[in-house]
Amino acid sequence: MTTPLSHDLTRLEALAAIARAFPTEPLVVALGTMVREMLLVTGRQPNHLYVLDAMGLVPAIALGVALSPNARTHERVVGVEGDGGLLMGFSTLATIGSMRPENLILIVLDNGQYAATGGQRTAASSLDLTAIARGCNFSTTDIRTAAGLSVAMSEAKVRPGPWLLRVMISPQNQPAPYFLPDPVELALDFKRYLGGA
Amino acid sequence: MPPLTSALGVDSRAVVAARCDAVNQAIEHLAPTHVLWIPSSTLKSVIDMIETRAREGAWVSAPLTREEEGIGIAGGLVLGGARPLLVVQDNGIGNALTALTTFAQPYHLPMLLIVSQRGGLNEYNSMIHTLCERVDDILDAADLRTFVLDERVPIDRWATSIVGAWEHAEMTHRPVILLVNLLY
Repeated sequence: MTTPLSHDLTRLEALAAIARAFPTEPLVVALGTMVREMLLVTGRQPNHLYVLDAMGLVPAIALGVALSPNARTHERVVGVEGDGGLLMGFSTLATIGSMRPENLILIVLDNGQYAATGGQRTAASSLDLTAIARGCNFSTTDIRTAAGLSVAMSEAKVRPGPWLLRVMISPQNQPAPYFLPDPVELALDFKRYLGGA
Repeated sequence: MPPLTSALGVDSRAVVAARCDAVNQAIEHLAPTHVLWIPSSTLKSVIDMIETRAREGAWVSAPLTREEEGIGIAGGLVLGGARPLLVVQDNGIGNALTALTTFAQPYHLPMLLIVSQRGGLNEYNSMIHTLCERVDDILDAADLRTFVLDERVPIDRWATSIVGAWEHAEMTHRPVILLVNLLY
């Protein structure tokens, strides 16, 4: 199945909606333009873990957080990943599907491109990612509008997961400065937020 | 043809069993919250123990699809206050290098990887030597702290060394790889 790109929603708009919907939940943000645009939207937030590299690892990291004892004080753990990153760590959908963490929400911002490296195409536009995720025991929704994203996130907050929300976004990138802090600081901040440090 | 070690009067099965028992004893002592694994034929009795003890409620046990996935899950667990342990085979350690060097190491996430060592003497799989005989060099070049348990370490020091490797990871706030040789 081929999914045409939507131009209704930008990454910046999607990230702003996600940050508003999950103001206190642990939120793992993928590298590159995702992290940089999230910082434009919200500034640095204690509940956000910024993954500066390790492409494809956000679903795995978010799964680990969701399974951890200190996640129990939060209703949901959210991973925000791109389509390229999801495909790079694709087999983690199977692991999540076998463990079935009800508190995990993966939000995939799908622009069909590797945004940070010059907009080269990914394989996502040729795939039905939500059908694959359903085969891995996820509840899923395909989203093309801001209103649709809002409704889907509200549902994912109250109905048990794991959830995969595929959000079609435009290929547009917002100019944003590089973010190059000491990762130890990022880990400690997030660990403290979760209550473990 | 029986293995040469048997022909020489060495009970290789007993040696391997003693090493696996030491690994199992150490894992019990460490009491991880989660054990994430990819099997190796030489790790069979260890994985069997991990699964059995998970069914008894000792910890959560989960098979991984890829080694790097394990680094990500373990990292998330560490950030959330858990005590994960990874058990994998060294033939797949290359899959984990990027995750180790761009996530676990720079974010200072302590975790122990018990990695079965393949290749070299007594290896039965002809395809496995090229990478596995150089894994400790590769890990050293990647600046990943690695310890080795093989025939040079007396069996009565194996369990304490595994516990020591875990403590080393926690003390240095880094991932530690422990290569364990279960071939004889």
